[in-house]
Amino acid sequence: MGTISSAFSIISGALDADQAALNVVSNNVANANTTGYSEEVPTFEQSQTINVNGKTYGTGVSETGATSLRDRVLEQRLDQQQQSASASGARLTALNNIQALFTPDSGASSSTAGDIGSDITKFFSSLSSLEAEPTDSSLRLNVLSTAKTLSGDISNAAASLHSQQAGLDQDTTGVVSQINSLTTSIAQLNQQIQAASPSDASGTLEDQRQQDLSDLSKLIGINQVTTANNGVQITTTSGQLLVAGGVSNQVEGGIVNGVTDYSVNGTDVTSELASGGGELGGYLTARDQDIPSALSSLDQLAYSISTSVNAQNNQGTDGDGVTGSTANPLYIFSEPATVAGSAASMSVTMINSSQIAAAGAGKGTGDNSNAVVMANLAKQSIVNGQTATNYYSSFVSSLGSTVSGVETENTALNASVTQLQSQSNALSKVNLNDEASALTTLERSYQAASQVFSILNTIIQSALNLGESTAVS
Amino acid sequence: MRVDPSYVTNLVGALDQTQVNEQQLSSELSSGVSVSSLSQNPVASGENVLLLNHIQQDDSFTQTSSLVSGKLQVADTALSQVVTQLNTAISLATRANNGTMNASNIQSISKQLAGILAEVTTLANTSYQGQYIFAGSQSSAAPFSTSTSTTPATTTYSGDSSVNYLETPNGQSIQLNVPGDQIFQGSGTSSVFGALNNLIADYASGTVDTAKAVSDTAALNTSLNYVSQQRVTIDNSLTQLTAASEAVSSDQTQLTTVQSNLMQADYATVSTQLSLAETQQTALISVIAQLNSTSNTLFSKL
Repeated sequence: MGTISSAFSIISGALDADQAALNVVSNNVANANTTGYSEEVPTFEQSQTINVNGKTYGTGVSETGATSLRDRVLEQRLDQQQQSASASGARLTALNNIQALFTPDSGASSSTAGDIGSDITKFFSSLSSLEAEPTDSSLRLNVLSTAKTLSGDISNAAASLHSQQAGLDQDTTGVVSQINSLTTSIAQLNQQIQAASPSDASGTLEDQRQQDLSDLSKLIGINQVTTANNGVQITTTSGQLLVAGGVSNQVEGGIVNGVTDYSVNGTDVTSELASGGGELGGYLTARDQDIPSALSSLDQLAYSISTSVNAQNNQGTDGDGVTGSTANPLYIFSEPATVAGSAASMSVTMINSSQIAAAGAGKGTGDNSNAVVMANLAKQSIVNGQTATNYYSSFVSSLGSTVSGVETENTALNASVTQLQSQSNALSKVNLNDEASALTTLERSYQAASQVFSILNTIIQSALNLGESTAVS
Repeated sequence: MRVDPSYVTNLVGALDQTQVNEQQLSSELSSGVSVSSLSQNPVASGENVLLLNHIQQDDSFTQTSSLVSGKLQVADTALSQVVTQLNTAISLATRANNGTMNASNIQSISKQLAGILAEVTTLANTSYQGQYIFAGSQSSAAPFSTSTSTTPATTTYSGDSSVNYLETPNGQSIQLNVPGDQIFQGSGTSSVFGALNNLIADYASGTVDTAKAVSDTAALNTSLNYVSQQRVTIDNSLTQLTAASEAVSSDQTQLTTVQSNLMQADYATVSTQLSLAETQQTALISVIAQLNSTSNTLFSKL
């Protein structure tokens, strides 16, 4: 039924559609810099045709809404890379703090104080110097002073590591509270999206949820699965359920052995979280792996030096003629009970330098044989099968390698995140040139429709004037 | 083909990176150290610990050896004076034994020998910085004392036979002392003090039992040779010490060079890199400024 009035309604439908599309384009331009906003494309659909007496008549166009341009798979890949990049980034920061405690001695005379390697050497050298003149009180005082420097630097390093560990612990608590609020928000969005647009990926709710998901990925390692009704199910990389439909499970922390352990639904997942990725994974790895490893190396070093030197000093005769014994031991350092904790508690307990047993047992005070043996402890494998200096050298070397490895990994991951981000932006971010050309197209199409409207108006005017002598305008 | 509309952000990221590079290079230039953290060169950091250990040990030995050589010199000087005294004693005894002297001359020789004994005792009780050097490990008390309650008088040694060694960084042991009993009391027949005391007693009355006096003079001669031999030990230690010091000194110089090459910044390389980073930064800034100008979008043409 191709009447003029039906043509009018088709054209007004077209004008409406163009207006709606212009709305979408303006929305795009307005949100060009909004984080997480993906470009929307208006969808034009031909309206249902009408069939009258075997003839088909079209009924125009309608704008059925806007589709967001997004690639779910690309976004997931980006999120996963973000997880790994954040994890290595957080771990790298913590590792840099650890390695700052062991800056290499440049060897210049004004080099940084507190280098443990130099302290070890100076301590054993002071014993070598004592060989020359075992009764010299200034040489004896020097032995005690180098011992104090060594024990001071080791115990300071251990104390710093402990406080860094506490700092990381606090960081994890902060991250976990952020995670909990994000999972709650995602669960709510799931419900809202399910109600609003269960069948297609569009809309600002979708954008918000994606933004939350990508923020969450930076914080914790997750796997996401799209469920029925456009929902998203989130589990940790080790399989603990965080969000399912409209329900979110909180990550709870509790103090165990002085550090905070985390559990989901009652299951302790701290070690899985550490290897799972995200900032939380990075912090937990540094807190539970890197720092304890450095501490245990320092403990081993402190324990071996303290016990070996103490034992040897106790086997000689000191400057007062007293020979060491088990009842009244002549100990220079405080004797540690266990390896664990011996670095933090390393200290010099000897007050009188005359108690340094330079002479062999039973010899006169001018003898230096015990001083020779004590000085030679520097060349003996007293720490886990290595000399003290070699042990420290391996320690710094391996710490440096670990940090360097994480640095390299971090750079590579950040580069890949940047690349994926570019790809994602190319697809979803508002391109102002595209919007400008869309705007021009819609403008022209609106012009064309309104031109048709004027023409139809003229036609009706002519129709109304058919067979009449007076004109109606 | 689609393009990332925010590619300028990536350029800004690159600009930040060049600034970080510049900072790092400038700090390297100002501190002179190329490895300022373990991760910059883990192997070098480990090597550095070992090299510094060696260098510091060498340095400590150099200082110790100058302490020790002073003491050895004193011992050597004392022993050379002992030899002089004993030579005088032998020539006195030989004159007394030739039978041409009268009783009062012989008695005066006895007194002169007593004087030499006192002198040798003082030399045997030499101390260096408050410690008696010929007393073995009992260095806080004078080792030799003579008691005139017997005839002939007896000189007793209150030290022990302990010998101290100094270890060099290469593991050599250098003997630092010779105990007094070894030098002056030898093994029975070559005892310096024994021979002197006997000779003093022999000439004290003015009449000489020639056979005994001659055998005592021979004993004194033997003991003199023995002292000279012990002196050689001290001289050997001095030689060893000098050689060790020189070796250690050149070792230290070499190792210091190696350590410097390992850890110090190469100024030429760093300066070049710094200028490259600056050039890159300037270039990036111009590119960003150019791209950001507002006439670059289609909107400006509408």
